[in-house]
Amino acid sequence: MSEMLLVVMLAGRRAALPAVSVNSVIELGEVTPVPCAAAHVAGLAALRSRPLTVIDCAAVLGVATDKADWRRQRAVVVEHEGHLYGLMVEGADDIVAALEEPRPLGADPGPGWQHAALGRVETEAGALLLLDIAALVAGPAESKAA
Amino acid sequence: MDDLLAEFVAETREMLAALAGEIVAWEADPSDRARLDTIFRFVHTVKGNCGFFDFPRLEALSHAAEDALADVRADRRVPDRRLVDAVLAVIDRIGVMIVEIERGEALSDNGDEDLIAVLEGRADDGLSFAQIPGAMPTAASAAEQRTIRLPVELIDQVMSGVSEMVLARNDIARRMQAMDGDSGIEAPFSRLSALIAEVRDAITRTRMRRIEGLFATFPRLVRDLSAELGKQIFIELENGEVELDREMIELIRDPMLHIIRNAVDHGIETPTDRLAAGKREAGMLTISARQSGNTIHIGVMDDGRGIDCDRLAEKAVAAGIHTAEEIVAMSRQERIELIFEPGLSTAEAISAISGRGVGMDVVRTNIEKFGGTLEIESTPGEGTRFLICVPLTLSILPSLTVEASGQTFAIPRSYVEEIVSEAGGGLEFAQVGELRYVTFRERRLACVSLGGALGLEPAPVDASLFVILRLGWGDLYALAVDRIFDHHELVIKPLSPGIMQSGLFVGCTQLDDGTPVLVLDVAAIGYAAGIPRELHRSSAVAARGAAPTEREGLRVVLFRDLTGERRAIAMSAVEQVEHAPAMAVRNPGPNAQIVLGEDILPLLGVPEGIELPARLSVMRLGDGMQQIAYASQKVLEIASLNGVVKRVNGQPTMVGVTLVDGETAELVDCHALFASHAEQAPGARSLTCRLAGEDGWMRTFIGPIIEAAGYRVVDGDEPADVVFLDHGEAFETEGVARKAIRLRSAPGKSGDADSIYRYDRNALMAALLRAGEELAA
Repeated sequence: MSEMLLVVMLAGRRAALPAVSVNSVIELGEVTPVPCAAAHVAGLAALRSRPLTVIDCAAVLGVATDKADWRRQRAVVVEHEGHLYGLMVEGADDIVAALEEPRPLGADPGPGWQHAALGRVETEAGALLLLDIAALVAGPAESKAA
Repeated sequence: MDDLLAEFVAETREMLAALAGEIVAWEADPSDRARLDTIFRFVHTVKGNCGFFDFPRLEALSHAAEDALADVRADRRVPDRRLVDAVLAVIDRIGVMIVEIERGEALSDNGDEDLIAVLEGRADDGLSFAQIPGAMPTAASAAEQRTIRLPVELIDQVMSGVSEMVLARNDIARRMQAMDGDSGIEAPFSRLSALIAEVRDAITRTRMRRIEGLFATFPRLVRDLSAELGKQIFIELENGEVELDREMIELIRDPMLHIIRNAVDHGIETPTDRLAAGKREAGMLTISARQSGNTIHIGVMDDGRGIDCDRLAEKAVAAGIHTAEEIVAMSRQERIELIFEPGLSTAEAISAISGRGVGMDVVRTNIEKFGGTLEIESTPGEGTRFLICVPLTLSILPSLTVEASGQTFAIPRSYVEEIVSEAGGGLEFAQVGELRYVTFRERRLACVSLGGALGLEPAPVDASLFVILRLGWGDLYALAVDRIFDHHELVIKPLSPGIMQSGLFVGCTQLDDGTPVLVLDVAAIGYAAGIPRELHRSSAVAARGAAPTEREGLRVVLFRDLTGERRAIAMSAVEQVEHAPAMAVRNPGPNAQIVLGEDILPLLGVPEGIELPARLSVMRLGDGMQQIAYASQKVLEIASLNGVVKRVNGQPTMVGVTLVDGETAELVDCHALFASHAEQAPGARSLTCRLAGEDGWMRTFIGPIIEAAGYRVVDGDEPADVVFLDHGEAFETEGVARKAIRLRSAPGKSGDADSIYRYDRNALMAALLRAGEELAA
């Protein structure tokens, strides 16, 4: 069985999201900032008439981003526990097939990545880190037990 | 009850359909435990459900089948061929009966004794029972076309599709405006708009359910509770046919249960106490629902002992919530409202029924969370009345949009008491520590800067625009905002938990252009910013302590009109003061109009031929239904009128002139303004008038002025409030109207003293006015 994966660019690295969970990939328009929200919540956008919580994935990984402008950023739209989220990435182009089941990470890819990863998966495009949507939505590792 | 019955029929049919396959499988292998359980559950459910209705045959059949199957399950009986056949026959007969019930037919009475005998295992081998051939298929085909059961998600999906259509339509409308000219698609576009609105209405209605479904569960609850407490209580349900959003029904269920439990437990006395108090032995609990506009009012009323507000007061003092002096100064109503203080209850003992878990404060908070209010009235010895008001639907919320620190937010309109601006003058501030107070109608209200509360940026020092918010009972505070945009009917969407956790927002919505906007939880913001909970009470006490030496006069806004005159207008009529450029004024003169935001309003206070200043201060006046605008050079201050108002002649729009702080000011007659300039509300509200006499002249000459005065002219035999009788018109026509005004064609005093010369316009209008006033009285 070969699962299809969406290859995204995140904090300068390539990573993968399970394609079945991906609703669409959009270019962000107006993002309304949300006061008093967690740092990794970039704001609210709208996907047609549904609100879309925009997640700054780089912030989840602990990589500082230039917060100046979210417009024209790419976001991967996923549905998690009944809500729509836009996972902000630098690029999302390819869909590749996984060659095998994901397996444990093995070597530590760095704390942020460790937190946001489900495992490592071999694909047609080489080995990729498989991102954990729930972890991205929940926010950086500090907010949970380290 | 029809709703419940329909539900029962639909549910039973659904189970029958699902059972069809199981039956065949069970027939093939009667020892199959899983199948047996499924069939047992079915007859068990049917038996349980028909207990609510009067279907003895259905109950007897399902009961017998249930017993037999229970024996099989307990291995007391072997499912032999005959038993299986009998059970299948029962299921078929249930199917037939369901069809009969749905058609409203009386249940046919063909004996089931044979069948029941077989099920009970007491029949001889020779006895057989009639199979009902083809019962199942007819049952299925007859009804499926009439109603369908849909998953709520599907309806939600359609609803959101329609919301998206509305957004797309708004987008097109904006683009069409930008094109500025005839594109030839206006007509089809407006048709499309109308269709979308229609579909939206229809789909909103599908979410509506009768409140009856909720009410129907109360009699049983009250019966059980009263039996437990040894009380006798009649319950009366009124107007169960009021419809409410199904989610809203779920939300009000718990608060209502709590209030009903309280009424039964604490409100209504025991029969002996009631007799001693000279009441009927049995208490009365009335639960009613009424729709008024977009609000549903739900009343829970008991005729019990009422709330013992003195006990409440004692407890409040004992709990240290209030001092004895404060209590003394409180009115009875204020003391009753102590019931909403956290941790107060009049219950003598903690009972199993009302318990101690949640208090009325929690009930009220829960109702307010979804935009409702809870009010209470109580008379000692006579009873207590709770009034819950909730919006018709959760999904559409009338809101006010405001700006703080460059960002737009929405506030549910039900919280907005008033909008005040320092530009109007008369606002008095006091700085107490870090908290700023503004004096609003004799109350010092804490000012909370919206930007500051949201941590957007330090609060601007010179904040001058306030939305006065009213939380539940008069806990008022002033929210300082940078700008106020507009009223909207917004569709509220839930937010993801990551955003909700701040507790500052209740949801999210979209403006016409699709921009997401956060909806503020103004109660949470206020309390988080430290506004005192009992603000209104302590201040009310303080105000009374100060002893009102001066009678409160009419609060007015003083302004300088376009001619430079100093004028005053009743403050309660002024909804908002806005600045507008002269450009926004169309057609300067008595019939001027002004564009304010998205509204075009009639603009008054613009004399013919006057040169408009570059910027006007425009007061938006409202009577609760309509708005008109009044132009001024400048809004001066707010004052209280204590002097005498003297009438002046020749100024139809002025009540008169009065002295304010030693200077004269003319008081604007709001009534005259609205009477002459607001659009006449159509429909039955307006008084009707009939014209009897020379048709052409009456219609052409009198008709328009009467209509302009707000009357609706009626024809034929329709009864009218006022009738105009032309000279010489037969007197009996008067019978169909409540007031008559007679006209004569000759001037002067001659002739009938009661009649009015047909061209004496002033007398005519005066007579009409008098008739209207007398009718209204």
